[in-house]
Amino acid sequence: MYQKSAYELHEAFVLGDISAVEICESFLKRIEKLDGKVGAFLQVLSESALEKARELDLKRKHGKPLGKLAGVPVAIKDNIHIKGEPTTCASRMLANYNAHFDATAVRLLKEEDAIIIGKTNLDEFAMGGSTEHSAFLATHNPWNLKCTAGGSSGGSSAAVSARFCPLSLGSDTGGSVRQPAAYCGILGYKPTYGRISRYGLVAFGSSLDQIGIFAQNSKDLALSAEVLGVHCKHDATSADHPKENFANHFRDDFKGLKIGIPYTFLEDLPDESRKSFESSVEILKKSGAEIVEVDLTILKYSIATYYILATAEASTNLARFDGIRYGNRDPHAVTLDEVYDLTREFGFGFEVKRRILLGTYVLSAGHSTSYYKKAQKVRTKIIESFEKAFESCDLITLPTTPTPAFELGSVQDPVSMYLMDLYTTTANLSGLPAVSVPSDVSKGNKPIGIQFIAPSMQDAFLIGCAHAFEKACPVNEQLPEIAKENV
Amino acid sequence: MNNSEWETVVGIEVHAQLNTVSKLFSSAPNSFGDEPNTNISVVCTGQPGTLPVLNKEAVKKAVLWGHAVNAEVALYSKFDRKSYFYPDAPRNFQITQFDKPIVKGGKVTCEIDGKEKTLELDHTHLEDDAGNCRHFSNFGGVDYNRAGVPLIEIVTKPLVGTTPKEVATFASMIRAILQYLDICDCNMEEGSLRMDCNVSVKKKTEKEFRTKVEIKNMNSFSNMQLAIEQEVNRQTKIYMSNPEADPKSLIMQSTYRWDPEAKMIRLMRLKEHADDYRYFPEPDLPPLLLTQEYIDALQQEMPELPFERKKRYMEHIKIAEDITNILINDKKLSDYFERALKVCSNARSLSNWIVVEFLGRFKDSGVNLPDSEIEAENIGRLVNMIDKKIINGKIAKKVADDMVSMSGKDCEEIVSENPDYQPVNDESEIEALVDQVLAQNQQSITDYKNGKEKAFGFLVGQVMKLSRGKASPELVNKLLKKKL
Repeated sequence: MYQKSAYELHEAFVLGDISAVEICESFLKRIEKLDGKVGAFLQVLSESALEKARELDLKRKHGKPLGKLAGVPVAIKDNIHIKGEPTTCASRMLANYNAHFDATAVRLLKEEDAIIIGKTNLDEFAMGGSTEHSAFLATHNPWNLKCTAGGSSGGSSAAVSARFCPLSLGSDTGGSVRQPAAYCGILGYKPTYGRISRYGLVAFGSSLDQIGIFAQNSKDLALSAEVLGVHCKHDATSADHPKENFANHFRDDFKGLKIGIPYTFLEDLPDESRKSFESSVEILKKSGAEIVEVDLTILKYSIATYYILATAEASTNLARFDGIRYGNRDPHAVTLDEVYDLTREFGFGFEVKRRILLGTYVLSAGHSTSYYKKAQKVRTKIIESFEKAFESCDLITLPTTPTPAFELGSVQDPVSMYLMDLYTTTANLSGLPAVSVPSDVSKGNKPIGIQFIAPSMQDAFLIGCAHAFEKACPVNEQLPEIAKENV
Repeated sequence: MNNSEWETVVGIEVHAQLNTVSKLFSSAPNSFGDEPNTNISVVCTGQPGTLPVLNKEAVKKAVLWGHAVNAEVALYSKFDRKSYFYPDAPRNFQITQFDKPIVKGGKVTCEIDGKEKTLELDHTHLEDDAGNCRHFSNFGGVDYNRAGVPLIEIVTKPLVGTTPKEVATFASMIRAILQYLDICDCNMEEGSLRMDCNVSVKKKTEKEFRTKVEIKNMNSFSNMQLAIEQEVNRQTKIYMSNPEADPKSLIMQSTYRWDPEAKMIRLMRLKEHADDYRYFPEPDLPPLLLTQEYIDALQQEMPELPFERKKRYMEHIKIAEDITNILINDKKLSDYFERALKVCSNARSLSNWIVVEFLGRFKDSGVNLPDSEIEAENIGRLVNMIDKKIINGKIAKKVADDMVSMSGKDCEEIVSENPDYQPVNDESEIEALVDQVLAQNQQSITDYKNGKEKAFGFLVGQVMKLSRGKASPELVNKLLKKKL
């Protein structure tokens, strides 16, 4: 049962083939038995999940209407609020913080009768690409436990990959959904900026952050994207876009579509990844796509631009963690300055401090013009370049990551770590919808992903294309060993 | 001391809390004086995961202000983050408008010593207020009720060669406009209206401004005038007694506050380093785009403004200028007068009764006439009784005393219940009094016949005295003239 996808579980539940409690218990048991090896969860919400499952069984028994996600266990990244439950952001700062309200995305999941099963691990405040910056634990890749599951949403990605749940939510500021999805052999979708409400997502880089979805296949993505992609009055950047039936946009192949590839941007791609990407392009061609080259040379500045803008925004977003109103205040602090200094010194990890310092620096008087303002200009150029590129193609494709998952502890230099985001930050800077779909498995048995980027607000089209790729290249059906373990 | 070569430069910064139902970026109530931390929400306490959503009512009120001062209302404005750490700032940054304010420019016009003068505004922007820090014996607390209350900050251009009186007059006109628009409670004691002044002096021959000093916490316009006077004197004295020194070494950039008990300015802090607020565009709020239709439509919603009302009072209903000024500068009093005007058509007399007679009676009580138990219409009816000659002015003053002492009792009831206030309109009764007075004042009769007009007045007074003020003065006049 645990290998079933979200829509399959939902159907089985609605048809009465299986009870919600059975589904819930089965996944909880897997987490209990196997998560010790993976480290996907920071908190398993067994009691509230089982309570919801019992409620759903009663609802079904009494013939009451059931939501679109009834019976589907969903894991939530621990920087997204569930009312009354801890939101730690994997930081000592918020180790004792309980959320006061449901994030809009969580509220929508609950309204559609999803079973919220737990909170997943991340790099502290979503800053990192490996979950090694979590204050609590590192998440291991279900395909290769020595390797990272990716980050920052590594916990949510590993949870779906190891079949601890069929669906999970992450957040994607510079690739934090797509990169771990690629590393873990599942699908990861980052919507158009504004498509899913950010209300209740603890902000990192507000103009780049989007809640994203992990799933085993495009049908599950479509099902959940439809539920989550609605306007929210608590988020002024939420798009007022009409509801769409995502499944209507599913396509069998790429016939009639022009797919753009920015070849000059891919010059530094390592050999194995290049070969893999080229074979994926062949698959696209076979499936009917016309490949065209697009000029996105500007993207070579994307990492620099991204790390200026994201850290600038983060330096102010994280200013509120000062020990005054909530969170852990250092008990040794006597004066106000000590409250600030000691609380933040102890509460934040090294990477978070590095980014706060970077962000403060690029905004400070005398530096703002050469860093922050210049980066804003480059961002505008990037947006314009994408608009221009989409005049000659319907979809753009790129590798998701330069390499497959690396071993935990093997990347020490922060710049090398930042460069892992080379192909993903572009969609955040441009606000465009992007999805990573499994495309290959490396010689070392590590999954590889391909990324598709669509024009703004064409999320349904994008997931329809992911569906077509899945049909042409069904690597997503391969499972890591741990997901084959029946407990 | 020869001050004539020096002149004063003052800029005003006004923080006006908009009287909206909810806060600028959250649905928490905007209300003063409640228990600490009761008017708060997850947004205005800066909980992680919360986002600001702009209050449309605040935008509308800012636009009304823009119209009132003939400013340009921006079709495009935006919000910025201003970073600083302090416990009263729930996010440790304020959301303000740094370089694209909602209102650009504008003018405030005032009559000062008979001359029309204009204060140029630089801009007006929207921002959210901070909470209040409270200091207790062994700990500090923060009340976030005020955090997130919408403010407009009005920034004027510097007034060069101004006087403290002129600055205070402009400042009080700014308050009057805010009151007439009904966009701010304008309570300087409670802090819903806060005015700061940037003061410097320079030699008239100098082009560049010298170092400015900021004065905060002036809770009234008379105190503002005193504070500026003190600061101007302090700076001028220092410059004049050190003519050789570099001016920059004499006056430091600093902030003073007005001490209302001591009636003195006191140094709060020196600004040794320029603050770096690291402004950048607020990513959680899209730019504020207004349409010309929206801006124009609000032009139709503009209430009567102080200068318009002043014009109406002076030109249409012919009220004396000094009385007009008193009414206009106090919107509440002026509205009170307007209510009385609905039942009484003699505007000139009514304005006198309200401003001179009734205001005078409440002068030392600490009670504001419009907040007293006396209904405005009651005063209107009192003036009507005089006009209809039911009572004369002398009795009316006694009735007014009674209205005050009898908790706003109806003037007509007061008159009907008191026999002493019944007017004597019986001609024969008055004629008897006239005869009595004429018989006792032969000399005055002679004087009158010799052309001394004063003597007539004296005789009228004597008759009135005999009638204990109840005789109708017209009747007394008529009868006296006849007999003489």
